[in-house]
Amino acid sequence: MNISIFVCSLILLAVSVRAAAPVDFNREIRPLLSDNCFSCHGPDEKQRMAKLRLDTKEGAFSVIAPGDSGHSKLLQRLTAEKKAMRMPPAATGLTLNDKQVDAVRRWIDQGAKWETHWSYAPVKRPELPKVKNPAWVKNAIDNFVLARLEKEGLNPSRETDRPTLLRRVSFDLTGLPPTPAEVAEFVADRSPAAYEKRVDKLLNSPRYGERMAMPWLDQARYADTHGYHIDSHRDMWPWRDWVVKAFNDNMPFDRFTVEQIAGDLLPGPTRSQLVATGFNRNHMINFEGGAIDEEYQTEYVIDRLETTSNVWMGMTIGCARCHDHKYDPIRQKDFYSFFAFFNTIPEKGLDGRKGNAEPMLPLPDDAQKRHLDELKREIAARSLPEELLAIEQINWEKKQLAKMPLPQRTGLAAHYELDGNLADTSGGYHHAKQMGDEPTYPVGMVGKAVEFNGKSQVSFPGAGDFDGNTSFGLAMWMKLTGGRDKDQMNFLKKTDAKLARRGYEVEFDNSVTLPGLKRGSHMVIRLINQWPDNAIEIRTKDHVVYANWYQMTLNYDGSGKASGLQLFLNGKLQEADILRDSLSGTIRNNGALEVGNLKALRPFKGQLDDVRIYNAALDPRQIHVLAVDEPVRSTLASSTKRSRDQKERMRDYYMTYGAAPEFRATYKELQSLREQRDRVEKYVPTVMVMEDMTGKRRGNFILARGDYRNKTEKVSAEVPSMLPPMPKDAPRNRLGLARWLVDPEHPLTARVAVNRYWQNYFGTGIVKTSEDFGSQGDAPSHPEMLDWLASEFVRSGWDVRALQRLIVTSAAYRQSSRVTPELHERDPENRLLARMSRFRLPAEMVRDNALAVSGLLNSKIGGPSVFPYQPPGIWEDIAFGAEFSAQSYTPDQGDNLYRRSMYTFWKRTMPPPSLNTFDAPDREKCTVRRLMTNTPLQALVLMNDPTYVEAARVLAERTLKEGGKDDAHRIAYAFERATARKPSAREVAVLRDVLRQQPATEKVIRIGDSVPDAKLNPAELAAWTTVASVILNLDETITKE
Amino acid sequence: MNYEYLRRLAMTRRQLFSRTSTGIGAMALGSLLNAGQKTPAGLDGLPHFAPKAKRVIYLHQSGGPSQLDLFDYKPQLKKFQATELPDSVRRGQRITGMTSGQSSLPVASSIFKFNQYGKSGTWVSELMPHTAKIVDDIAIVKTMNTDAINHDPAITFIQSGSQQPGRPSLGAWVSYGLGSENQNMPAFVVLLSQSNTPNNDQPLFSRLWGGGFLPSTHQGVKFRSSGDPVLYLTDPAGIDRGTRRHMLDAISKLDKMRSDAYGDPEIETRISQYEMAYRMQSSVPELMEMSKEPESTFQLYGEDSRKPGTYAANCLLARRLAERDVRFIQLYHRGWDQHAELPSHLAMQCRGTDQASAALVTDLKQRGLLDDTLIVWGGEFGRTVYCQGKLTDTNYGRDHHPRCFTMWFAGGGMKGGAVMGETDDHSYNIVADPVHVHDMQATILHCLGIDHKRLTYKFQGRHFRLTDVHGELVKQILA
Repeated sequence: MNISIFVCSLILLAVSVRAAAPVDFNREIRPLLSDNCFSCHGPDEKQRMAKLRLDTKEGAFSVIAPGDSGHSKLLQRLTAEKKAMRMPPAATGLTLNDKQVDAVRRWIDQGAKWETHWSYAPVKRPELPKVKNPAWVKNAIDNFVLARLEKEGLNPSRETDRPTLLRRVSFDLTGLPPTPAEVAEFVADRSPAAYEKRVDKLLNSPRYGERMAMPWLDQARYADTHGYHIDSHRDMWPWRDWVVKAFNDNMPFDRFTVEQIAGDLLPGPTRSQLVATGFNRNHMINFEGGAIDEEYQTEYVIDRLETTSNVWMGMTIGCARCHDHKYDPIRQKDFYSFFAFFNTIPEKGLDGRKGNAEPMLPLPDDAQKRHLDELKREIAARSLPEELLAIEQINWEKKQLAKMPLPQRTGLAAHYELDGNLADTSGGYHHAKQMGDEPTYPVGMVGKAVEFNGKSQVSFPGAGDFDGNTSFGLAMWMKLTGGRDKDQMNFLKKTDAKLARRGYEVEFDNSVTLPGLKRGSHMVIRLINQWPDNAIEIRTKDHVVYANWYQMTLNYDGSGKASGLQLFLNGKLQEADILRDSLSGTIRNNGALEVGNLKALRPFKGQLDDVRIYNAALDPRQIHVLAVDEPVRSTLASSTKRSRDQKERMRDYYMTYGAAPEFRATYKELQSLREQRDRVEKYVPTVMVMEDMTGKRRGNFILARGDYRNKTEKVSAEVPSMLPPMPKDAPRNRLGLARWLVDPEHPLTARVAVNRYWQNYFGTGIVKTSEDFGSQGDAPSHPEMLDWLASEFVRSGWDVRALQRLIVTSAAYRQSSRVTPELHERDPENRLLARMSRFRLPAEMVRDNALAVSGLLNSKIGGPSVFPYQPPGIWEDIAFGAEFSAQSYTPDQGDNLYRRSMYTFWKRTMPPPSLNTFDAPDREKCTVRRLMTNTPLQALVLMNDPTYVEAARVLAERTLKEGGKDDAHRIAYAFERATARKPSAREVAVLRDVLRQQPATEKVIRIGDSVPDAKLNPAELAAWTTVASVILNLDETITKE
Repeated sequence: MNYEYLRRLAMTRRQLFSRTSTGIGAMALGSLLNAGQKTPAGLDGLPHFAPKAKRVIYLHQSGGPSQLDLFDYKPQLKKFQATELPDSVRRGQRITGMTSGQSSLPVASSIFKFNQYGKSGTWVSELMPHTAKIVDDIAIVKTMNTDAINHDPAITFIQSGSQQPGRPSLGAWVSYGLGSENQNMPAFVVLLSQSNTPNNDQPLFSRLWGGGFLPSTHQGVKFRSSGDPVLYLTDPAGIDRGTRRHMLDAISKLDKMRSDAYGDPEIETRISQYEMAYRMQSSVPELMEMSKEPESTFQLYGEDSRKPGTYAANCLLARRLAERDVRFIQLYHRGWDQHAELPSHLAMQCRGTDQASAALVTDLKQRGLLDDTLIVWGGEFGRTVYCQGKLTDTNYGRDHHPRCFTMWFAGGGMKGGAVMGETDDHSYNIVADPVHVHDMQATILHCLGIDHKRLTYKFQGRHFRLTDVHGELVKQILA
């Protein structure tokens, strides 16, 4: 069922059904006045026309004569013949239809009873209504539902069958389907509390916390990237795991609230309470070059206040950012007073470049903590006289240039400085040539460098023409940047395909994700006569990290053996695996040495600087000169302003070689300690948290038109004036605010919370607009039931699990979801609850269901987010480049491919495509209600996404192994796994036809990372994969009935 | 002809309502979903008036092309070359964090030559020789202006009417309002192409073609040049068309049984979605297959148009999508952010795009499609007259500039040859006829027969519009 677009409103329903009944102001009249009149005659003083306001009783009664619609100016203007007189004015595009006008007329004639907007009035626990059929009632919910049905002249539906009921409640409480064994057990259990027993089991499953967390992640706009521009990664998963645990521990909702909003302000907060405050750090964070700090810092605060007020109060306070709210009595001043609660964080407007933004909390385990504490002590125990050293360094620099060793010229066959041209400056005149795009020359490591954009190629004719029995040395600076990651990237080659690759080449293999989400590749070096049998091939054990500069020296001793090939990076010999070692004969060809081969699958993207070609291998001292001394010499020789990297290198060089011996020794120790610390910290997760500034706080002002530049009146932290005030002695900080929210007298918090839970089960809340409890929102379908549930929630001590139990054990919940055409026409959105709602599973459950029924699901809870299958290139199409994280996507391998969907890495500017197709939001902003669509793209995902094709094959494997001997049994087995029920004979017949007609061929069983069982007949498995795929594509399979 | 189309649309909508007793089935359908044998449904009562354009091709040049070096000719700037930008011009207005710390803001005049072209005598830079030939077919607005100063907020603003994420994109609004006209294609298609320069491109975000708070059916569907043209379009290895057909028949039969048992109209909708998916599996590859285009087409669009994924190939694809009545075709071309090396990099960008943009106008005109297709060309902001980084005789860079920039419009409803608006001598502030981003958005909707004030969606209690509470029609460029 589509929950979003239906326009049939309760107003119409009520009017058409009961023409003579009393008009309910809150349900029928206020929404109509709000939607049509308040924008000019409402709370916003600046926009108010004719000094008339219709949102207050005093204002409205100036144009209403209670009991006498004929003399009420309001009705006269609504019904005026003359267009110019009629309200609302034509220019607004708003009109009232006859039924609406009639409702206003009757309301006035009935005495114009005025009431406070329902959601701002205190919750009053109503009496349970009497019903004619008490036998149907299982708990209090049913009194309300049945009383309404009886009033409408409708009967509830019968209880649904047990398999359907168990499947429904399993999805609702755990997000996963029941196994056939669980279904059979439930069907066979004749005890009176059979259902309640199942419910309790589900409520106590660790899956319960995950399921409850899913909608909370939407509300909290949880994601794994920062959003906005570069959209690089962040680590908020410790907060996500906190949420799962909180639900599994059945943390009371008031504590759940206080810890997330103000855990840091509690006395002696625990680590867990600090992690909880990550809720309000889940907002997007920007660091676009050139962006203005204050602009974004303001946006973060606004996001926090909008999210907090919407999540806990269903308030659309954001409308008061630029002016007084047009519909609800929220002044612009209220908005900025509320803003002040969230503007206390020591945060920067532009941050997040390297992952989490301050303030953040490191989360080391015990061993890590001990190790780090020790390292910190060691570091603190050493110090250097920084000022003195700075002066000394300047003196040293003045004299040092002349003393710097020069790179070796002996054996230098060619030298390309690449400082704006491709000339050979060795005297050998082997000038390089550009092919493809004109190269550009940004600042490099030694002067300028040449840039390769994937469309440029440089060839070095006449240079590097070596054979397998001659020694040589190739030295250069290089840096890798972007590019797609699934293929190896060609770097440097002097090979000839026509001779079956005679020559030598250097490549980077497919890139992988390193800690900190950096990209890295191994380097692969080959000397080839005939590929692959007559060749040497080595591959580095470590990764080259993208966007870092490396000095690379490749030495070869002419031995014809892999052991004679050595690769140095930044002066250090690299360990390498020998993959091939069978070279004989020549490697010579007539071609040129090339960098950035355009014909390669993945041409080189990156930079190259100071290329030197030697006729003999270089000794380690010389390599050190090139890797360590030469960039410093180049900087010393240059008069241009130094980059940060150059400054750091210079300082490091001075402290390592130039400073007085005692300082050098201390420096060396410190560097070693810092490196150890960094190595440990790399594996210590952090999470962003809330924290109050200790020093001077920021001032808070009303911002005219919502613009950070227009500060006007100064304000201080206070809750919106239309709501009950905070206690006088409560602190005006987040802790005071959080406690105010969960005060039992707060009219909104409990109502909003129970309505959101209700929405999970019935698809639509008791208040349909679960994001808006204001005057523009829908009125509750069962107002007394909403209030009863809210009061019960508070009375139970905010017991979340008990509330879920109450709902799912009601008779209303257990109804069948079958609908007759008459009932569908009468109540298409199922607001009256004469049946159970039938609707598609949320995105995560669509996928989790396929993984679960096939048996692929990996049930691990929590931890860093994972990378399931995703078509290649989707991130790269829109991403910035390799210097930032989360710019290119490599799927995981093995178990991580089958984790629950809630653990999928969520990149905001390109959310997981197959989940997004099923209406999962991008998480840029708080989402409290997903819209539900039904599209052909969803069909394509279920038919063709490898996730579902693989799940079908694995389900087929299981079916062949466990499903019985004949086709009918096997079909029934697979069908029941997916739907929890046995298929009818007609259904079996249709599926059997799939087997017979034209099943898929064997190729289909190779799809996916898992390996098909070799004992099974491939053709038969392919045929059953077809059947299983049909089953996984059924509407019923992806629907909660 | 437009009225015939309107009549047809109204009629089918009525039929649709009469088919489903409540009308819900119809309204639940978005642009994509109105597959089945049925036709598209937009909103009832739309278009509000007779449209001039049935569809839009929006050629977004991401990064901010320099108006000073392309369209906004300022010959007198040579006199001020390398002098400090006067305070009287800047008027204390904010600039980005990239140049706010620069000790000097020296004027950099354009090194490119300008000439007058066409009957209109429009000034165009030498970088755009092909666009120069179509100036009489396009309406140029030199006085576009925006509220945002950096890429993320500016591109989000021009595509969704708000600097902050969360609102539906222009194409999504159009899909929501007008629905689709093709049973085998989405109403809103997105094509991406990468920069022609060696620099890192500014990133894009799926929100730019997202549905915001509208149902996700209205979000743009990316057609891709490598891999599946639409995600998950291709049947897996081992499943051929015949097998797929049998599978779909089985799914449909089983779903139908469920529908009979449960009475939920969503099941019928799902059956028709599967059928549309099946049709897309042939209609999309057929669209992307350009080998049957005559040689003359590739000559018109340029050699690049043979290479899938280039801007030129995407322009050609846009024409093919327009022929198939796709409602909103959104191109993004990256790489227009010339903070440095502007003379060489801007030339590369123009070489990569100029011919194809002009060819698209020419091609649609030849085919009689230009009359009811609106083409929009432009970036998210302009560039500063002052130099970012080091100014030399041959090299300069320009920072982001929100206060004036140039866009052009062609086809459905636009006045060919029009040149609108006047900027000051430094192309810094607007002297006459400003066109704000919301005005442009209102005008695009107007060409489609939509009153931008009446295309609304209620979310969080508010009737949201693409143009927020702003937007004036730009009548001067309307035919």
